[in-house]
Amino acid sequence: MKYDIFFAGVGGQGILTIGEVLAEVAHYKDIPANFYPSKGMAQRGGFVKAQLRLGRENVGPNIPQRGADMVIAMEQSESLKAIPFIKPGGDFVLYSDIWAPTAVALGKAPYPTFAQITEQVKLAGARLVHIDPGQLPEYAGELVHANLYVLGVIMGQTALGTLIRSEDVEHIIQTRFKRNTEANSFAYRSGLGMPLVVS
Amino acid sequence: MKKLITGNEAIAYGALRAGVKAVTGYPGTPSTGCLSSLLAMDLVDTHVEWSVNEKVALEVATGVAWSGHRALCTMKMSGLNVAYDTLISVAYSGCDGGLVVYVADDPGASAGMCEQDSRSFAVMADMPMLEPATVAETYELTKFAFELSERIKGPVFLRLVTGIADSYAEVEIEEPVLVSQAAPLLIKDIQRYTKAGAVIATNQHRDLIQRLEQAGQITDEAKINKLSLSRKPGGLGILASGIAAAYLEEGFEAAAPFGFNREDVSTLEIKVVHPFPAAEARKMLAHCQTILILEELEPLIERGMYVEAQRMGYRGKITGKLDGVFSRIGEYGVPQVVQGIESVLRLGIPENLLSGNTQALKLAAARPITVCAGCPHRGTYIAIDKAIKKLRLKKNEVMVTGDIGCTILGMNPPFDLIWTEISMGASVSLAQGYVHAGVKTPVIATIGDSTFFHAGIAGLVNAIQHQIDLTLVIMDNRWTAMTGMQVNPGTPCNNGASTYQEIDIARIIPALGIEHFWTVDPFDVEETAGVIHQAMTLPGVKVVLARQECAIQAQRQGKQAGKVHVVEENCNLCKLCLMVTGCSAFSLGANAIEIDPELCYGCGVCIETCHHDALVAEEV
Repeated sequence: MKYDIFFAGVGGQGILTIGEVLAEVAHYKDIPANFYPSKGMAQRGGFVKAQLRLGRENVGPNIPQRGADMVIAMEQSESLKAIPFIKPGGDFVLYSDIWAPTAVALGKAPYPTFAQITEQVKLAGARLVHIDPGQLPEYAGELVHANLYVLGVIMGQTALGTLIRSEDVEHIIQTRFKRNTEANSFAYRSGLGMPLVVS
Repeated sequence: MKKLITGNEAIAYGALRAGVKAVTGYPGTPSTGCLSSLLAMDLVDTHVEWSVNEKVALEVATGVAWSGHRALCTMKMSGLNVAYDTLISVAYSGCDGGLVVYVADDPGASAGMCEQDSRSFAVMADMPMLEPATVAETYELTKFAFELSERIKGPVFLRLVTGIADSYAEVEIEEPVLVSQAAPLLIKDIQRYTKAGAVIATNQHRDLIQRLEQAGQITDEAKINKLSLSRKPGGLGILASGIAAAYLEEGFEAAAPFGFNREDVSTLEIKVVHPFPAAEARKMLAHCQTILILEELEPLIERGMYVEAQRMGYRGKITGKLDGVFSRIGEYGVPQVVQGIESVLRLGIPENLLSGNTQALKLAAARPITVCAGCPHRGTYIAIDKAIKKLRLKKNEVMVTGDIGCTILGMNPPFDLIWTEISMGASVSLAQGYVHAGVKTPVIATIGDSTFFHAGIAGLVNAIQHQIDLTLVIMDNRWTAMTGMQVNPGTPCNNGASTYQEIDIARIIPALGIEHFWTVDPFDVEETAGVIHQAMTLPGVKVVLARQECAIQAQRQGKQAGKVHVVEENCNLCKLCLMVTGCSAFSLGANAIEIDPELCYGCGVCIETCHHDALVAEEV
């Protein structure tokens, strides 16, 4: 099995945590992996990307363009930065959260529409799996962590779910996060059970 | 035990396996994770410290190595420039205990600064340099670097690039060995440990050259580089240096459908980037008709290859950067392997095989890096802006020099305040140059606390000595923040077990004889602006210390500066608060501005920007 995942989002969303969990699952199951997070310079709110390469013994950290089996994007505009990397036929998972830069909020700069993203994904020949932030469930009166919910959706609706076992992902989530274990499980399982939304 | 660790951590574990006695360094992306991982281990027998700067770090490490113990010194490429004065001398003197200098380069400049290729520094210092292709190799080469250093009795470089330093992969880790408790060697030998006079210096130079030659023999014997010659001679030979080797197999796979046959190709994976692996290179030249060289940044290996080719009367072709096939800019990956194969073998591999649709990138919103919600620097930027306006000047009339670290973020919107960034501490010295050049408006220099200690202090001493009219604003957030919250000499040392002495900038400045010195709270923008305005009207060197702890770090300790509340009925959505502060805690609601309570630190800087009393401080 060789499977490459490209992540794009902004600092503070927990997108790198998805990659870390998957890298730990690979480690746990003896699947060769290289996980390369890239945080840029901002502590919060800046562009972050990461690359997870599964199944190769000796592998460079960078996925070539048109080489990613899956893209996981958690910010609408930043998802565009992943477009060159998706493989034709790959899964483009978009959690369409919007973190508007100041210039956009002030109406001084444009921000890409959801339709523009859809078009680019189509042009790249990929399958869009869209997760609307509005569908994020609540647990005990609070919205669950979006990243764990997204991870659940990925395991439920992409090819990755056939390559690694959901129990192993859940095991890593349980051992990695000592607090809020029930809420985390709930977030993950809710994502896993989400009805299919492919466009 | 198999562990999932980064390249930085692989160096840390490798050094522990080598029984390292001391580890010193200064934070710098992407090298930081090595030393910070060791600090987190609370080691008993190994001293680990963030030093005040890289030069100091290397000198501390050298003292350990000259006493016969093993030492590791860590830094990013920019830090190596700071340490280089010391390093050349240490290379000349050699060492008794193993001394390994870890430097991280950043092809692609993902952390800003530069694409400096530090391999050339190994050439200049006649020091061996090792560079792994993967995280697992990093661990092995770290252990070997200490051995090599002790065998040649000289310091050894270990180089990583960002893609390995920050990558996680599985590595087989052994137990650390016990740190030697042997009595330190006290060797009094001025022929080795001083530089006074041509005889001493030229003798040391001779020994240095011999050490490098010996390093070449040792690494050849240990077969550190991986040479694989094809069964049939006459085909293609590929030299891949460092991380470039990690992309070979994948590139071969991509080229296979176009008739590329891996069996016909010879490869040399280079992990000893200096001294040049001449013996192995000559085998490649003797065996192959065409040579392809894959190395990021400068054509260092390539130049070495041309020299060997000339010496051997090689008639084949050498492809790399010097014939214009590859760029000296950016990271390498699978596309470069494929491109190189195509340019040499002409298999008809389409150019767009590995290039995606980059048109999409043009649609993405610009996201300039900016300060976090609650960042105390925000108040300082706004205050400097106000002070400039109070003098009836415009922002583009007042030179505000900047420095390395979070403080530079004032260069971006909405502040657009800072004009320059050179190197650690340069803001205050550069400002003096502008004054000498005859700039008539007040000149302001800005710097952070760690940067001030690192190299800014010398520039300030120079300004005082030469009686320059300038205002220095030290933005003291108490932490080395941009690299991920490391301690510096000014970081409050409030846990009883800590082993360092806090040094208060507020006591240093008066001791330098500076008459006009103020400490202000940047969350009090009016007061800060008033003080900076006053400073700009006075002659001589004035220092304003804007002091407030980094909000991220304060929040981690459960602190909260206050609470800001939106009075919805007063808000007319004029967005002035957002325009002035650019604070990420704000978002636009349907009828009023909204504040994310998770992000808001309650600094209150936004309150006075509102003319409609829609933002109010809540009692906490």
